[in-house]
Amino acid sequence: MKRAIPAVISAATALTLVLAGCGGGDEPVDPNAPVTITLAGWSLSSTPEFKTLADGFKATHPNVTVELKEYAAGNDYDTQMITDLAAGTAPDVYVMKTLKNFYTYQSGNQLLDVSDVTSGLGSVPALASYQVDGKAYAVPYRQDSWVLFYNKDLFAKAKVAPPDGSWTWDDYTDAAKRLHTGLKGAGSNATGAYQHTFQSTVQGFALAQTPNADLLSGDFGYLKPYYERSLDLQATGAQPTFGTAKTNKLTYQAQFGKQQSAMLLMGTWYVATLLNQRQSGDADKFQWGIAPAPQFDKSTTGTSATPVTFGDPTGLGINPKISKSKVAAAKEFLKYVAGPDAGKALAGIGITPAQATDAVTATLFGLDGVPQDDLSKFAYAKHTTKPENPVSKHTAGLQNLLNETHSAILSDSKGVDAELSKAQSRAKNEVLNQ
Amino acid sequence: MSRNTVAGWSFILPNFLGFAALTLLPVVVLFYVAFTNWNVFGVAEWTGTANFRRMWDDASFWTALRNTVYYAVFHIPLTLAAALGLALLLNRKLRGVRFFRTVAFFPYITSIVAIAVVWNQLFSPEYGPINALLGAVGVDDPPGWTASSTWSMPAVIIVGTWRYMGYYMLLFLAGLQTIPAQLYEAAETDGASPWQRFVHVTLPGLRTTTFFVTVLLTIESFKVFDLILVMTGGGPGQSTLVLSQYIYQKGFEENQFGYASAVSIVLFAICFGITVIQFWVNKRRNS
Repeated sequence: MKRAIPAVISAATALTLVLAGCGGGDEPVDPNAPVTITLAGWSLSSTPEFKTLADGFKATHPNVTVELKEYAAGNDYDTQMITDLAAGTAPDVYVMKTLKNFYTYQSGNQLLDVSDVTSGLGSVPALASYQVDGKAYAVPYRQDSWVLFYNKDLFAKAKVAPPDGSWTWDDYTDAAKRLHTGLKGAGSNATGAYQHTFQSTVQGFALAQTPNADLLSGDFGYLKPYYERSLDLQATGAQPTFGTAKTNKLTYQAQFGKQQSAMLLMGTWYVATLLNQRQSGDADKFQWGIAPAPQFDKSTTGTSATPVTFGDPTGLGINPKISKSKVAAAKEFLKYVAGPDAGKALAGIGITPAQATDAVTATLFGLDGVPQDDLSKFAYAKHTTKPENPVSKHTAGLQNLLNETHSAILSDSKGVDAELSKAQSRAKNEVLNQ
Repeated sequence: MSRNTVAGWSFILPNFLGFAALTLLPVVVLFYVAFTNWNVFGVAEWTGTANFRRMWDDASFWTALRNTVYYAVFHIPLTLAAALGLALLLNRKLRGVRFFRTVAFFPYITSIVAIAVVWNQLFSPEYGPINALLGAVGVDDPPGWTASSTWSMPAVIIVGTWRYMGYYMLLFLAGLQTIPAQLYEAAETDGASPWQRFVHVTLPGLRTTTFFVTVLLTIESFKVFDLILVMTGGGPGQSTLVLSQYIYQKGFEENQFGYASAVSIVLFAICFGITVIQFWVNKRRNS
């Protein structure tokens, strides 16, 4: 009989899950009645942005409570959310954690049309990423952009001039090599640069900056010079090899935070991480700064120009199964999260909001430990940010195969040309023809 | 219906309901989904054999299949030999034999993530102790292991063998206990050498166990997933991409559940086919 117990429990659990999916029903609409909307988030204890948004909204809308529902972090977030949406148990408002999966939600009719919300938001560049056939299906609340973090102390130690906003990729490569030599001469083991194992560190910049580069064309020739420079940096020892980073599970946080590398290309979210890690002792205390990401050519360098970089927005959308009485509150919440008040609240915890304003920059640079130089402020506030994952049916498939190409090229390359040509033929035969 | 039948059903039913809801039904649904185009949301669109035709022209599917076979072809005999060797070694009356048996079994119960982290560091091409050792014995150009597309699969096979040999060793140990000691005594009296005793007494005595172990090992090898996912993620490139990971990628990362189901059916057919052949060969041998 003992063996039957787990089975009964399993069956009961399954039944509960099925019944949970059948609940609900429309409640009567009353604009003044207390409303509770549920919001999905991940790692709630270490990711304060969801609570910040919920509390900030409650301050101006006392009758609306935003209840947080915790989901898995990392890639599992989407798997779990898709399952819950399919089962009808997802929260009222949920996060588009990556732009790559927006297509799945939108084409699967899992997002309410929120065009009426976005029409009142003014100019938020990332809005375009969530528009399909002229209608908006989500609003952005975060917009990180990739910049260059650098360690001023290590630059001084190596006697190399720090970035001044005029760097192209050749300047960056050259500086990384000179840093490597200089640091070695000064008795330091730190490398000149650290490009983490993410495909973004090479492909994101190449796609955003190269004129006429188009991920969905299946023509990946634009990646070539970017890979050649990365391989050059690895070969000269100016940055750890891909194999070393993978096999030793190097983290970019430790690599830069513990002064193992003088430069780090990373998204603006790293500002908050670095500040927290300095407080907890996981990162050293040293002089650091932010510079614009190195550019494709001189035309977008200098503080009078606008540097081009990449970064996907993080957005919020409404589950179409939300009860009608909550739709108005949910839309109000979306209006709030993409607006200036939420922007300032997010900047106050080191997060880069979707709407970049002077007030946002002032708030972020008012935080203790953030560099105060003009170049850092310029790099943080001014750039053209292009999406890394242009919304399309084919994006997930193309990015998966490009991720494989990335590891193939950076490990023991059979040659950049050979790998890119293989990627192009795979894109044509396995993804774009589907 | 007799009282016995009712009693029998009442014992089976609770368990069967769980099995039906959590295993049987998903499997039946899988066979249906394999013939559709379905992204989880909405209705699955019937596409007939389109998914299977697509597989035929899908280079990544063939790469994953080749890699799976590569893993199985080396992992099965290596694990079999290592497990049997360990079992023979630890079937004697040694001091501390229980300790050694536990040590040999330990990798099997260790967290796969911990295994991946530690082995990846051991395999590190520049800083790992394995290459340091190879360098010390005069190997000038040591392998790149998990950082090289040529060596990543051998690296995974080594770890796979290390991880599973303890488990199969236990099965072999159990099998060895069933061989009557008199057979060895008789062989020894007749002047048989240790090798002859192994070939003519141990191996025939272990035939049922070997068959059972081979079947389990074959199925386990063809559906290898977690070890490769945490060790190499299928890379570098597609050098360690195996079928089960390809299914995961197409299903859960690209939301092509129809195609992923079709590939699952192929994986099922391979495992089923090989198992049937093994049973058939075993039956012929026994008769």
